[in-house]
Amino acid sequence: MKIDRDQLTAQVERMIKNGYDYLVKITAVDYNDHVEAIYTLRNMDANKDDTLEVEMSSADLWVPSVMKYFKAADWYERELYEMFGIAIKGRAVDRLLLEKWDGENPPLRKDFVWGVQYKTKD
Amino acid sequence: MQINANSIANVNSLVGSGNLLYGIVGIVVYAIIVALMLSVFGYSFGWIERKIIARAQYRHGPTYVGKYGFLQNMADLVKLLSKREIALSKGDNFMVRVSVPLMLSLSVFIILLLPFSPWLQATNIGFGLLLIFVAIAFFPMLVFLTGFSTGNKFGDISAQRSVLMLLSYELPMIVVVITIALVTGSYNLQGIIAAQSSHWFVILMPIGFIVMFIAMLAEFERPPFDLREADSELIAGWLTDISAPYYALVLFLDYTRMFMGSLIIAILFLGGWMGPSFLPGIVWMIAKAVVVALFVIVVRATTFRMRIDRVLHLGWLVLIPLSLINLLITYIVLLWIA
Amino acid sequence: MAITRINIGPVHPSTHGVLRLVVDLDGDTIERVEPHVGFLHRGVEKLVETRMYMQSPPYMEKLDYIAPLSYDEAYVSAVEKALGVEVKERAQYARVILLELQRIASHLLAVGTMCNDLGQMFTVFMWAFKDRDMVLKLLEEAAGNRMFYVNMRLGGLLRELPPDFEMQTLDVIDYMERRIPEYERYIEGNPVFMERMKGVGVLSQKDARNLGVTGPVLRASGIEYDVRKNNPYYVYDKLHFSVKSLEKGDNFSRYRIRMMEMRESIRLIRDAFDKMPAAGDMLGMPVKLRSPAPVNKEVRVSRELPRGEALMHMVADQQKPYRLSIRSPSFINLAALPDIAKGYRLADLFSILGSLDLVMGCVDR
Repeated sequence: MKIDRDQLTAQVERMIKNGYDYLVKITAVDYNDHVEAIYTLRNMDANKDDTLEVEMSSADLWVPSVMKYFKAADWYERELYEMFGIAIKGRAVDRLLLEKWDGENPPLRKDFVWGVQYKTKD
Repeated sequence: MQINANSIANVNSLVGSGNLLYGIVGIVVYAIIVALMLSVFGYSFGWIERKIIARAQYRHGPTYVGKYGFLQNMADLVKLLSKREIALSKGDNFMVRVSVPLMLSLSVFIILLLPFSPWLQATNIGFGLLLIFVAIAFFPMLVFLTGFSTGNKFGDISAQRSVLMLLSYELPMIVVVITIALVTGSYNLQGIIAAQSSHWFVILMPIGFIVMFIAMLAEFERPPFDLREADSELIAGWLTDISAPYYALVLFLDYTRMFMGSLIIAILFLGGWMGPSFLPGIVWMIAKAVVVALFVIVVRATTFRMRIDRVLHLGWLVLIPLSLINLLITYIVLLWIA
Repeated sequence: MAITRINIGPVHPSTHGVLRLVVDLDGDTIERVEPHVGFLHRGVEKLVETRMYMQSPPYMEKLDYIAPLSYDEAYVSAVEKALGVEVKERAQYARVILLELQRIASHLLAVGTMCNDLGQMFTVFMWAFKDRDMVLKLLEEAAGNRMFYVNMRLGGLLRELPPDFEMQTLDVIDYMERRIPEYERYIEGNPVFMERMKGVGVLSQKDARNLGVTGPVLRASGIEYDVRKNNPYYVYDKLHFSVKSLEKGDNFSRYRIRMMEMRESIRLIRDAFDKMPAAGDMLGMPVKLRSPAPVNKEVRVSRELPRGEALMHMVADQQKPYRLSIRSPSFINLAALPDIAKGYRLADLFSILGSLDLVMGCVDR
């Protein structure tokens, strides 16, 4: 299901009410001109998976945090930030999880420049 | 050991008669022999333990160095001793350098006090039993000091655990010691062995034996009470920052302490040097100690490590009541016999 | 009492690889645990984008070096789905057999290392290692390698199972069936083990859902979700097995679940051998320079690995994956550690870590 990022939290809330209370994965795909963040939610009792696809232009990358609904979102959102440079609004990211980089050249973007030495932050 | 037998048995009288030099030389020679014996047995236990644990785990253990890998530990020792000492930048090097050799010499000191036969003993002092347990209480204190002075947080935690265990396991141990003194009427080790001529104390007070055995395991860091150097939690606890030569000594110390503890248990509960007379007393004594030590090794091969709160729970809420019950039962039995 | 902050790892005997834990201790009680990961981060997701489809399975195997075959299979089936390749029926049975053997091997090691973390002198670990070795020998018979198999090909396997494979496997699983009660008798008969495992590291059902844990950790918390049953792939729906779950959600349940799953795997293997069709072959397509054109643009493949559910989300390009996102079970199970370990003692941290059964390669990718 494609939705706008402004409606993401509202939609997540609605889905939790419908029994989709298990977050499988948050990931993203970079299509050069736009980036798609994909939230996979699961209704365990009905045995159904559903995805929320949030499209955003590459110039303006942010998604709202869903951490208050799923604690599982914590590390996934941090991964999203590190790998795609997608800012997560509504939560503080105090520490990098997998990478050490300075915010430029996120590795899983298609315009990633290979062989550039990262300036380490911590 | 025949040479100095006569000289040692009567050190007190020798000192009294003014032949001080003779007495001191005798004691020094005896101490060297004891230290050598301790080394041989400590070393052998190191090998036996590796072999037994290997068997429990479908392995062969050391096989290459020496016959059946007997010299493997020697090779390890040489390797460790040939390494340089790494001085601590934050910690107190003095304490590390002093405490480990001190612990080794403490075990020699304790064994000097133990009777290996009616006459084979450095000095037969009247309060030998108490002196031994005072000396034993130094081990956790030295562990505490070393762990604390390495300036390492794992060492700190290890030191705290050491003190907690000292507090909870000395008490039942001393209560059992008092019970033994109550039965024999003296703190003299020869007297304690003589009192077991008809029946060993393990039969008279089996509860006391169990309490003493568990407390000894805890005192000498044997599993399941190896919380001080719990390798899967604290890396090596108080040994984390100890450099190779001292670490070699500590590894060696582990086995000497185990042997020493087994000797003490053999004296207090298994009749010491007593046994059928076709073998000398020292053989019986060491045989009993070896049996106890083998049991300790099997415990190590099979058990899991306890958690500190459960260890304290066991110490305060199980062992201390048990030791008191043991005291009570023994007292009643003694009254009944009388 | 003042808070002590201690740093455990990245090099530590019981962090199962390179995991760094910053632990705030109040006395001996854990106030906060902060896992620092990324020491084994190899950028596999990016590497895959630069390789042809069938060049990547070796990378996938290195993610989870305890159960390499399972990851291999998950990736290859994602590719199969994208390229529209059907898996031959005999190959499906063979894959199920190999995957379940891999599950047994992985769970054995999990139980062994967990006992090590509890301060056992390597005894259970060595037993488990020996028994695991028998399983690895079988996998070697089937795949040619002992550890990294790279056995999966599009539509089947690299080669036929050897003719006496069935007999050998049945021998080994007969032995396993006798052996598992021995483990249980030894481990559960130990009072120290029981008091350190029961009621420690409790993860309630609600928290388990919210934290998104998977696999044995999820099932130990009372949620009966297993991809093999709920979303069957291959021939799992034709085979007899049951999904076990326990209510308590403590360390002991997580250990029990693994023991029970090993038994179920044995059942599965027997059943798969019984129902395996005699006719037909199980050979997959040889690895070619050009693979067939993808028929599905975006595929999602969900697989039950020994450690939990892996979700392979692949956006297909002509010859290479455009994007492969891996949902690794260890990653999300480790993310739950701070919530599970809070309030327990320092020694419990390691038993909890052991019961989560993490592989750092799988966490960091």
